[in-house]
Amino acid sequence: MQAGSNSSAACQGSSCSQSKTAVHGLTGACGTVAGAVCAGDTAAGAVCAGHDPLIALDDVTLRYGDDVTALSHVNLAVASGERICVLGANGSGKSTLASVIAGLLAPDEGTVSLVGRTVCRDGQPDFEAYGHARRKIGLVFQNPDDQIVTSIVEEDVAFGPENLCLPPDEIGRRVERELARVAMGDYARSDPSRLSGGQKQRVAIAGALAMEPEVLVLDEPGALLDVRGRRGIMRVMAGLRAQGTTIIHITHFMEEALAADRVLVMDHGRIMFDGGPPEVFSHCDELLALGLELPFTARLSAELRVHGFDVPWTCDDEELREALAPQCACTRAGHASAAEADGLPQERVPSDQTGRTTTTGGAPQGNPACTVERVSYSYNDDGGRRALEDISFGVSRGSSVAIVGQTGSGKSTLVRLLCALEVPDAGRIVVDGIDTARKRDRRLLHGRIGYVMQHPERQLFAETVLEDVAYGPRNMGLSPDEVRARCARALELVGLTGREDASPFTLSGGQQRLCAIAGVLAMEPKVLVLDEPMAGLDPHGRAQLEQILSDVLAAGTTSIRVTHSMDDAAKADQVIVLAQARLLMRGTPEEVYAPTHEAELHRAGLGLPAATRWALALGLDAAPLTMSALVRELSRTRAVAARLGSGLSDAAEGGDEHGA
Amino acid sequence: MALKLSIGQYWPGTSLLHRLDPRAKVACAILMMVSVFFIRSLAQLGFAWACALALVLVSRVPLRKVLSSIKPIVFMLTLLSVCNLLLVKTGDVLVQFGPLVITTGSAWAALLYPLRLVVAVIVAALLLLTTTPTELTDAFDAGLAPLARFGLPAHELAMVFSLMLRFIPTIADETQAILDAQTSRGGALAEGSPLRRVKAVVPVVVALLASSTRHANNLSRALDARCYVGGAARSHWHPLHMERRDWVALAMTAAYVGCLLALSLVG
Repeated sequence: MQAGSNSSAACQGSSCSQSKTAVHGLTGACGTVAGAVCAGDTAAGAVCAGHDPLIALDDVTLRYGDDVTALSHVNLAVASGERICVLGANGSGKSTLASVIAGLLAPDEGTVSLVGRTVCRDGQPDFEAYGHARRKIGLVFQNPDDQIVTSIVEEDVAFGPENLCLPPDEIGRRVERELARVAMGDYARSDPSRLSGGQKQRVAIAGALAMEPEVLVLDEPGALLDVRGRRGIMRVMAGLRAQGTTIIHITHFMEEALAADRVLVMDHGRIMFDGGPPEVFSHCDELLALGLELPFTARLSAELRVHGFDVPWTCDDEELREALAPQCACTRAGHASAAEADGLPQERVPSDQTGRTTTTGGAPQGNPACTVERVSYSYNDDGGRRALEDISFGVSRGSSVAIVGQTGSGKSTLVRLLCALEVPDAGRIVVDGIDTARKRDRRLLHGRIGYVMQHPERQLFAETVLEDVAYGPRNMGLSPDEVRARCARALELVGLTGREDASPFTLSGGQQRLCAIAGVLAMEPKVLVLDEPMAGLDPHGRAQLEQILSDVLAAGTTSIRVTHSMDDAAKADQVIVLAQARLLMRGTPEEVYAPTHEAELHRAGLGLPAATRWALALGLDAAPLTMSALVRELSRTRAVAARLGSGLSDAAEGGDEHGA
Repeated sequence: MALKLSIGQYWPGTSLLHRLDPRAKVACAILMMVSVFFIRSLAQLGFAWACALALVLVSRVPLRKVLSSIKPIVFMLTLLSVCNLLLVKTGDVLVQFGPLVITTGSAWAALLYPLRLVVAVIVAALLLLTTTPTELTDAFDAGLAPLARFGLPAHELAMVFSLMLRFIPTIADETQAILDAQTSRGGALAEGSPLRRVKAVVPVVVALLASSTRHANNLSRALDARCYVGGAARSHWHPLHMERRDWVALAMTAAYVGCLLALSLVG
């Protein structure tokens, strides 16, 4: 792997980087597998003992047009039964790699063998071999809507087997088996357009599995799904792994990579790292430089080490927990009394809250940015199903609100009502002093509430970035000078200055989203409503957008954000939890994410932020919402434990220092 | 969603209508729909309506569902009815209201034309409600098969038809989302002069076209991945077999058309 010579970092032994340099034919390919073994993978090593790799890419290069090199001298060997996870920023070549492995794209240079057939030799594709290989490879990708070809779930699962010309009774057996595997048996006769994203994606997986592929390629299957949807996909994958299906999983979620046998990290069309998850994630700085992040556990263990805890660096939950437990003897009683003795302010969590609690925390004082009073709404075409029922809350000026709830809980409806795109059946919504029900004020209102829809890049239409961003301000009837000034400010805010004359359709995915958001920001709304703004972005894109949104918030804009991420929601001033069209909880993140609410949040398809879950698992008394709060809490607990145990007061001081 | 269309909204069931061979069903439906144009008398209208309602009962599709799927077209037919009422001038004058004249001819036209078309609409709605898109595609395929000999890509057309049915709800949802986004950016889609409205549609249509292109690209990837090859042989999970009940259905439809014609002689 000349190209990936950086991957010598992944392969710590010098001997193995030699075995990777040249791959000619199958013996050489086997050498590549050996390379993976020294990167810490025993499963691949066992396979290498006598079998050929299932998939082999030898010095593969693929270009789009003349100037975009999507894959550059990639060498890869995948053994049968491996579960591989591919990470990388947007544009790193992950999806192209998926297409090559799935047999949908032939490279310009190099040799590709798929499921035992050489389909492309030195850039010369053998289309017949490709046709045969594709029958053994399944592909599932991001948008489930685009993969389902009929309007009945079971007919869709049967589509692939029908193309393989299987006899009817065999098709029936497979449809039933695969729908049961993805837990969609009860929906066999349903219309896919009525299912949630997670359910649709499971149908798509069943459709791929019904062809009994030897390899299943999943290209960001969870990117558009909520927490529960992603969990379902991961469960299906674990089951498949146990049965020996080879899995290539491409994802932006680092936590998901931990379940893999082997992790590949891509950048600019090259494989930079190749090895077991702990091995790959130990290259913290390099990964961050590639626009990736580390799993929560890895970041936590690193942070704890900085704070003087005697824990190993690890990305394994269990290992870290075991290492931590003895250091902070987290007995609740001991901790509580000791903390008081310590004189430290305790984060008290109201523990008496149960059930449908509506707390007053985070409620607005004075002149609110937005109030929602006893609002109900139903869609008239769905047999009068209630989409929202008796929702009330207020948002104070300049604050941030997170709306959480699983698919179908009414989040999107609430957002449409807030943006005056729909009028409540009962109750009223007042935004910036204007009742949304008053039709003649609608225009005025649209100028004051900015609405960033899900996947806002879909709203792009103009010939240039500038024209698109100017659409909103122009509709407001502002003077040309003012429009120009606002567009310039908005583009600067999102970092697209200099791209004014580009076509928005030539921007990268992440930039398209920023351009669309600039179009809303240029209207300089008082209230910014965002519907899952992070969906589908890579870690770098998420961080970038997070920074932009915090700048907007700092400028005094009120922000209301629908999110799937409990960690994101925990950073808001107020959290609103919707479940089955009703307001389940409302309050500050501390109130909503109290450990006592765990079961209830779980029932609503949600959960606690990662830091809170850790604190709970370690038996801490407090409920920190962020990792730094968790580390602070652990330091204090350790200090207290040390003082109680041996009376070493200097240890306690050390702990406080680190906590500060 | 305001734009949700009812085309292709299959209603799962096991009624006799659901179980009919789609080819027979489509043939019967086309016969019934064409035959509404023979309806010229009250007796015929009554007979056709009675048969259409009987079919609704046999299909076991809830009446509410049938009504909601024919509602948009019934609305258009009501407009047609009003036009007939005001524009047809034959027969005796019943009421005169300044320039507005209602005659026996116009009243009859206002009743007959929409009511007989509703029969056709109900039959079409029942066909779509009781037949899965895959079955429809198969029927379509079978119907066009003779033309394949003259080079018509029958199967591919049927596949396109099936994909169209599948994507109507998806595109409708997307249209709504883009409409929402542009409206909240102050796009005046429902106000102002006609010229302004036409201009205001551009940001929606262009965005929608871009989005549809994206869907098409992804879909082609999905079809490739699932080994669909246009023109290649495929098997069928539920191969079509004409059974006795299918022949009976065809015979009954023929009898229905016969009765309708006989009634026209009586009337």
